[in-house]
Amino acid sequence: MSVPAARVETRVASVARARRIGLERWLGADYRLGFLFVAPIVVSVLALVAYPFCYAIYLSLTHKLVGVPPVFVGLENYLRLAQDGFFHRAVYNSFLFTFSSVAFKLLLGMAMALVLMTPVRWRAFWTGVLLIPWVAPTVVSALNFLWIYDGSLGVLNYLLVKVFRILPQGVGWLSEPGTAMASVIAVNVWRGFPFFGISFLAGMKAIPGELYEAAAVDGANTLQRFRHITLPGVKNILIIVVLLSTIWTFNDFGIVYILTRGGPGGATMVLPVLAYETAFGAQRLGEAIAVALYLLPALALTIVVLARYMRKGRKR
Amino acid sequence: MTGGLTGRLQLGLSYTFLITLLLLVLFPFYWMLVTSFKTEDQMRSLVSMFWPSPFALENYQQLLSKTEFVSWYGNSIVVAVSSTFLATAVGTIGAYALARLRFLGRGFMASATLITYLVPPSILFIPLYAQIKNMGMANSLAGLIAAYPSFTVPFVTWLLMGYFESIPEELEEAAMIDGATRFGAFYRIVLPLAAPGVLAAALYAFTQAWNEFLYALVFITDARLRTLPVGLASFITGDVYGWGFLMSGAVLTTLPVIAAYIYLQKYMVEGLTAGSVKG
Repeated sequence: MSVPAARVETRVASVARARRIGLERWLGADYRLGFLFVAPIVVSVLALVAYPFCYAIYLSLTHKLVGVPPVFVGLENYLRLAQDGFFHRAVYNSFLFTFSSVAFKLLLGMAMALVLMTPVRWRAFWTGVLLIPWVAPTVVSALNFLWIYDGSLGVLNYLLVKVFRILPQGVGWLSEPGTAMASVIAVNVWRGFPFFGISFLAGMKAIPGELYEAAAVDGANTLQRFRHITLPGVKNILIIVVLLSTIWTFNDFGIVYILTRGGPGGATMVLPVLAYETAFGAQRLGEAIAVALYLLPALALTIVVLARYMRKGRKR
Repeated sequence: MTGGLTGRLQLGLSYTFLITLLLLVLFPFYWMLVTSFKTEDQMRSLVSMFWPSPFALENYQQLLSKTEFVSWYGNSIVVAVSSTFLATAVGTIGAYALARLRFLGRGFMASATLITYLVPPSILFIPLYAQIKNMGMANSLAGLIAAYPSFTVPFVTWLLMGYFESIPEELEEAAMIDGATRFGAFYRIVLPLAAPGVLAAALYAFTQAWNEFLYALVFITDARLRTLPVGLASFITGDVYGWGFLMSGAVLTTLPVIAAYIYLQKYMVEGLTAGSVKG
């Protein structure tokens, strides 16, 4: 008995379809296109972030000099750093740099957003121009300020001494320990506050106007409206922006590296610059990675909390 | 009426604040521009501080003829453009899959992408350098092009996921009922609608790659192979050249980014808020 060819084909096809439906149940209805489209991301995340990250943890447990194979030493790098006064100072500086920068960016950004919510003209113009520091290359901005802060020919001293006569003589803004940190923070704030402002503005625009009208009918004053309507309305954005900026600021390398390289005498030494100097100045890679990874638990916690907020913000 | 008066007072304060902010924001750029057209003599003598006199082009001439600035410009263009194309292609299809398609591991990959975006370069630069070096790509532009997707791909993906989610799913369903395949629905219906978002994401990726400093500083040792940020920064340690010279380089480095920004300002402001903080 011979089965007609067409019947065989349909049987083969239906078996294949049944198998595919089985696979689709396990792997999802669009698994073929899905896997195909996601594969490049998987490759780049694994090769460029996951693998280097694991490798970093391993290297931080070794003595690794440039050009020499690593020697496993356990927690020695971390233990040594725990007793290193210069490292302690860098940790302290990093927190000081980060928290002061973020606090000022928050204040300035909030003020910027609130002012742009008042009925000013040319709102698009103001937001457009105020965002420029955020898009300009960090290195260029840092170099601009290096020149502005210059002790002998810098325009800041010129303005304060010759034009406004506030100071009797010029200050070496970046070369004196007393002013270096504040000067570096100012540049980070200058660059970062527009991001805060523009994000808060987006959040405030999304608050329904009726809420303010109802509050006005109830006789709420400006401060009460801010506290009970504006602030709750932008709460999620505020948390996201603050956490995001905390991560970025804590890990900011370019501004400090260009302006002071951590000087004078370690007064502005922050962890990313110390990690760089340990790796490529002192050539001790293992210890350098330990510097970079020392506060990993805190960073990981921040990232997890932030990621949760960012996904929640998307789902709304 | 007091309402009108306080209203006008408030508006006056708003403008005062905005103008102050504007001056603070723009002054460093103005100063960079002015300095780039000053001669060394003028700068030393502190005359006519806020305007070049004489108006000199010698900084630019020297920069272009006596240094490797032109090579650095080419390097920056090569690195930024290739990593932008790479990141936009990978990020667009990936974001579509993560936003729309149903497959095993989608939620996990979406989280992984977001977390990757948040991991800072300062903890990755040393192992990445070691890795690039092992692959024989240290001290080459290829090494940078290979490394930059570590931050551009997660960013573009995250940004475009939000964009794809905002496009109504019914459009694709209608196309598929009419006989289009899933891929056809993506290619013919969704992609054209997402074009503004893809363009904004590409522009972002370009800006990030153009501005990147740490990886370029670490990976590249050959002076000719530097990108612009690293090349510019190398002038301060060299100390051979004056500030006018450095500022002319800074002006030329900023131009492409500002031009792109002015052209696509609306998208960028929207993209910025949609990408990082939506909701």
